[in-house]
Amino acid sequence: MTRLHGGLRVDIMHIMEGFLPSPWWQVWFLVSLPFIIIGLYQVNRLVQEKREALPLLAVAGAFVFVLSSLKLPSFNGSCSHPTGTGLGAILFGPCIAAVLGLIVLVFQAVFLAHGGLTTLGANVFSMGIAGPAVAYLIYKAGTRVGANTYATVFVAAALADLTTYIVTSVQLALAFPGTAGFLGAFLTFAGIFAATQVPLAIIEGAVIMLVFKYIVQLKPEILTRLNLLSESAVRKLREASA
Amino acid sequence: MLEDFAQTNDLGGTSPGLKLFLGLASILLCVSSPGPAAPLLVAASMSAAILALARIPPRVYARLLLVPVSFAVMSIAVVLFVTGSGAVLLEVPGLPLVVTAGGVNLAVLLLARVAGGMCSLYFIALTTPMTEVFEILRRLRVPAVFIDLAMLTYRFIFILIEEAGQIYRSQVMRLGYGRFRESVQSFGMLSGALFLRTWESGEALVLAMDARCYDGRLGIPGESRPVSIFALAAALLYIGAVLAVSLKT
Repeated sequence: MTRLHGGLRVDIMHIMEGFLPSPWWQVWFLVSLPFIIIGLYQVNRLVQEKREALPLLAVAGAFVFVLSSLKLPSFNGSCSHPTGTGLGAILFGPCIAAVLGLIVLVFQAVFLAHGGLTTLGANVFSMGIAGPAVAYLIYKAGTRVGANTYATVFVAAALADLTTYIVTSVQLALAFPGTAGFLGAFLTFAGIFAATQVPLAIIEGAVIMLVFKYIVQLKPEILTRLNLLSESAVRKLREASA
Repeated sequence: MLEDFAQTNDLGGTSPGLKLFLGLASILLCVSSPGPAAPLLVAASMSAAILALARIPPRVYARLLLVPVSFAVMSIAVVLFVTGSGAVLLEVPGLPLVVTAGGVNLAVLLLARVAGGMCSLYFIALTTPMTEVFEILRRLRVPAVFIDLAMLTYRFIFILIEEAGQIYRSQVMRLGYGRFRESVQSFGMLSGALFLRTWESGEALVLAMDARCYDGRLGIPGESRPVSIFALAAALLYIGAVLAVSLKT
């Protein structure tokens, strides 16, 4: 269990406590706040309509946390940005995913020392809002044009991951533009992170795609009940893989 | 996980509100301090409190301090080379990389802030159990649905980690992580299986909660621990001292 419980892993996507100076940490709190408020409003409405939604949202949040506390294969880096929030966004929509992202990031900061409390706003924006929103939009667009579902899920998850990393670079470059200016600083931060983040994004895309495949094969009623896939689409996918 | 220590440490009897206040105030002082002296003071005193008052094993704490190092080294290296003005201290031959006095000052300040901030975060994480934080949030009138969601998530994290560990170990026993392709496949299988089991346990929880007359609200009796005057005075004195150091420098 050391691998699961030990906090000693390389983590470069959470901006840690104390790193963002004023006014930037406050700015990112303000940017994230509207999404969280809308998300809470949506959660409230969902729970009032369907009481069973609350435990399901909670297990989705816990799933994201546990997935992020596991080590990705063959990498020193971890996928400890809550990638699963991309999956959460596809399942429940981006604003509810933002609320789940907030909860997961607080737990990550307090249980695993990934991220921090003043930097919570910035981390929620990059990992809980920007990434999941991209995943959600790509998934919706992909299903509308009738693209291959697995390919869509792969692209959505991988791009959500890349978005998270680019937004983090933007946040750091805005806070520390230096003499090179915003663009120069952005390219430096992004360049340094790219070495680990680009391969990670591809692996995570593959992993989320496999998760989706298992759901389709073993418990497709989850997807049809949430109106993510029509029953005929599920049938087609299952026939294709059979 | 840090939460294990939060439940068992020697500061368990102190008011959780006071601990949370002390930790958060220290973090804010670190982030807003213009010089590196105050954050370093916070780092030292928080570490002392964690080791001496809460009696966290030093080896555990030393390992924790290594967690933010990789992010710190990379990001501070960028800050060191990108930002700054003033006297040139070092030039990398053949590359447009220059270290200036301004860059070094900023890097030192950031390093100090991160050290102070992380130590304060560890203080909260290692001494204040999440269950007591929920109670504080409730008194602060955070929306009930948010607290309920966070509490259920919290509960499921521990169940799922156990389950993920079992799946992971059995995969390792069957050489599931031997080669790269296999490890991606195995990790995907683990995540997928975990998701489905998660979902099923969520549905089981709905049933269990319904059977106990769940009406959309989780009522959990909170116990309040009074703040001792002595502890409050000590905390305020400490924060005042750090503030004075921060303003002086």
